[in-house]
Amino acid sequence: MRTGLPHLLPAAALGIACIVSFTLLLAFRPHVPGEPGTAAVLDAILLWNSLLPRAAIALIAGAALGLAGALLQRVLRNPIADASTLGIASGAELAQTLGLGFLPLLTGISRELLAFAGGFTAVAIVLALSWRRGLDPVTVAISGMIVSLIAASLSVTLVLARGEYAMSIHIWGAGALNQQDWSGVISLAPRLAAGILAAALLLRPLNVLALDDSSARSLGVALHGVRFSILVLAVWLSASVTATVGIIGFLGLAAPTMARFCGARTTGQVMMAAPLAGAAVLFLADCLTQLLGPGFSDLVPTGAATALLGGPLLLLLLPRVHGFSAVTATADAALRQLRKPAAALSLLAAALAIIFALVLTLSPTDKGWSVALGPLFSELLPFRLPRILAAGGAGAMLGAAGFIMQRVTGNPIASPEVLGVSSGGGAGLTVALFLFGFPSPAIMLLGMALGSLAAFLVMIAIAGRSGFSAERLLLAGIAISAFCMAIVSMVLAQGDMRSYILLTWMSGSTNRAGAFEAWTAMITLVVLTAPLFLMIRWLTILPLGTGVSRSIGLRVLPSRLVLAVLAALMTAISSFLVGPLSLAGLIAPHLARLIGFQKPHHQLAAAILIGAGVLVMADWLSRVVIYPYQVPVGLFAALIGGPYLLWLLGGKERSA
Amino acid sequence: MSRVQQFTRRTVLSAAAVLAAARVPRAQEAGPRVATLDWALLETLLAIGANVVAATELRQFRQVAIKPDVPEGVADLGLRGTPNFEVLRFARPDLILNSNFYAWADPLMSRIAPVESHPIYKPGESPYLLAEQATLAIGERLQRPAAGRMVEELAARLDRYKNLFARGDGRPVLPINLGDARHYRVFGSDSMFGEVLKRVGLANAWTGATSYSAMAPMGIETLASMPDAWIVLIPPHPQDAFEALAESAFWKALPAVRENRVLAVGSINPYGALPAASRFADFLAEGFSRVRNG
Repeated sequence: MRTGLPHLLPAAALGIACIVSFTLLLAFRPHVPGEPGTAAVLDAILLWNSLLPRAAIALIAGAALGLAGALLQRVLRNPIADASTLGIASGAELAQTLGLGFLPLLTGISRELLAFAGGFTAVAIVLALSWRRGLDPVTVAISGMIVSLIAASLSVTLVLARGEYAMSIHIWGAGALNQQDWSGVISLAPRLAAGILAAALLLRPLNVLALDDSSARSLGVALHGVRFSILVLAVWLSASVTATVGIIGFLGLAAPTMARFCGARTTGQVMMAAPLAGAAVLFLADCLTQLLGPGFSDLVPTGAATALLGGPLLLLLLPRVHGFSAVTATADAALRQLRKPAAALSLLAAALAIIFALVLTLSPTDKGWSVALGPLFSELLPFRLPRILAAGGAGAMLGAAGFIMQRVTGNPIASPEVLGVSSGGGAGLTVALFLFGFPSPAIMLLGMALGSLAAFLVMIAIAGRSGFSAERLLLAGIAISAFCMAIVSMVLAQGDMRSYILLTWMSGSTNRAGAFEAWTAMITLVVLTAPLFLMIRWLTILPLGTGVSRSIGLRVLPSRLVLAVLAALMTAISSFLVGPLSLAGLIAPHLARLIGFQKPHHQLAAAILIGAGVLVMADWLSRVVIYPYQVPVGLFAALIGGPYLLWLLGGKERSA
Repeated sequence: MSRVQQFTRRTVLSAAAVLAAARVPRAQEAGPRVATLDWALLETLLAIGANVVAATELRQFRQVAIKPDVPEGVADLGLRGTPNFEVLRFARPDLILNSNFYAWADPLMSRIAPVESHPIYKPGESPYLLAEQATLAIGERLQRPAAGRMVEELAARLDRYKNLFARGDGRPVLPINLGDARHYRVFGSDSMFGEVLKRVGLANAWTGATSYSAMAPMGIETLASMPDAWIVLIPPHPQDAFEALAESAFWKALPAVRENRVLAVGSINPYGALPAASRFADFLAEGFSRVRNG
């Protein structure tokens, strides 16, 4: 058959690549030095108890993740569902971090059980959030990604809190396949077999699920029941893998794609080909990282290497993602409008001033709560003022950047964090750390600004393509984020001084803010936001779309570029100050609109004030909740912003 | 019967007695109030009986470094990465000691009290020599003669151990810290443990360089490339990691394990100063003499 042959080529190429690299690995594996007799015995042990079980576990874990991915994608009717995108992996990691570090009573319980519990809890939360929508595929996927974000930021907080003791969490989080016996294989293989058996039994209902809900129901499939059992099966498979070898990023995404690329069409074919493709991809990645690493050590943890696949794959798959009509986060037409926006703005400014005064004076001490006045106030001022100014300035700039992004993309859900622009800054920072060793703050800022700009330009290009709905843009942003974070986590896994700098950046701590940070925040806030008020015309017209903008006589490209540079600079500087996860850039423009500021310049001013207020509050909370210990403010703000984003997505059914 | 030489309660007590014999002076005659962000300096200060009023992550310090004891009244400044400067301010120190690790905090802390920096871990320099210098300098600054005594006593003790170990089997020693059942961290010649090995005349089985701040985790299978070595397990490590490792075929097949050349010692701060070095040396001496005497 003419159509069959070309499809077999990629499959054959993948197979041959696997065989060749494994042969090379066997031929060039490092040998044990020393007395020949002992060395030969140890070599044999290494071969039989390390190299071969490792190869086997790569195949089994890859197959299990591939199958889990195929199942998840089928049941959610969503080509981007995967253990990484649904929060299973991050939930499992969080549970392990908690169990290892903070609950000594749990040390008796195995890490496998902890991972199960965490993965299931994360999925349960995701399902609960999307239950009202009948487990709508899109709601499930987006809730999953946000739960994942929240779990990841909690994990980073805990890692930081534990200091060096967290080494194993690092390794585990990055998904290393090292084995020293067959126990991993023995525990995972039967689970994979059981999973394959269950998937075979569920094939018919699966096929029916490929139709839409009403047809499936009329054919007599108990919709929620079947979906639920398939979901449980997929979660169980991925949690088993996560518990045994750690997070293997996005393999569940890669495997079914590869399967379709190799010619699998029907559900049955995909279910058979996806595990094979998953096994091959993970096996190949693992062989390569062993081959390229020096001596006995790996180049990078295998899980971090596969995570690099995630971003590009998500972008590639986006055109196939259907079903967005159900959820729209577009602006409500019936939003109220303030009668006296200027007065309301002064009210907001007054509120910010009061918050400012409160956080500057009110704080717990070793003798309980106290209001610092008089000499104590001037004593504490050098410690409180810089961090408050840094947080406030960052929040204000995030608010403005979020406002620009929502206007330029014409999309109400855009924001620096959601579009991956903050994470782009992280990738830029990573590159700067590699090029300069210990770069100065200015070079770090420059690297972050360039990274942010690159990420935002990619997002503008994506948003510019016709028919991209709010959620699709959100998913593209998550794809960029995933790619940038994969770069960051590869360096994190090296465990040297650079990873400490990156961890500190990710957590976003204002605790270190001194005069430099405070002045940077204040000066850039003024310099970067003041011109925006002169660009109100652009910000009014651009959301109407390229065609309309052009017909009104706006030079679209230059205006977009100028705004993009401003937004990227503001994002980079604020993520330098409070980390990439704060979500203040999402919340502030939204709240401004919800309050009733509809004119662009009012909305911009309100977004700046609200952004500043939110982060100043978050900064204060982050230093009082576990006094004298402190939670990094960026993570703390993410814990507020994440649920808000979920509420925003879930709540829209009221107006739909 | 476990193949690992576990410390019994008695041996731990006797090791503690050795430490106590170093006559740690009490901070009765309160000297200047000092605070620090760095654990290596903290243990130095406590060991010479300085009047410590504030330090970081005390909960964790008590679990990882264990000795010297931290008096009840010392204020906890929170995490080393995010110390609480307001608590530091309330502790009213007369002097703040800092290391190069937390140099970023110097400008902020110098508003509270004068800051003096004593690096102990620097690329390409011996942490033992730096720790000696820091101990002597701090002792002089705070007028604690105990500092000089500690430096001399430890040097003498390491010399004694050198004679003791010279009668041993001459095998190299591999000090490691388990991360999980499949990864460990190794301490090279530029680490404090590596320095102690050198000073007591033992060879470090790990000949590669280790970066001064933290070591990238090694896969457990690399243990097979050092078949001659004594393996010294330094906690803290996750309990389940050790149990899983001890069960594995690979671990049981290692020459060091088959020939009973594994020592599990007490928890030590891996980035410590002289007190950590002293603890490590005592654990080694105690462990090896126990093995020799059966």
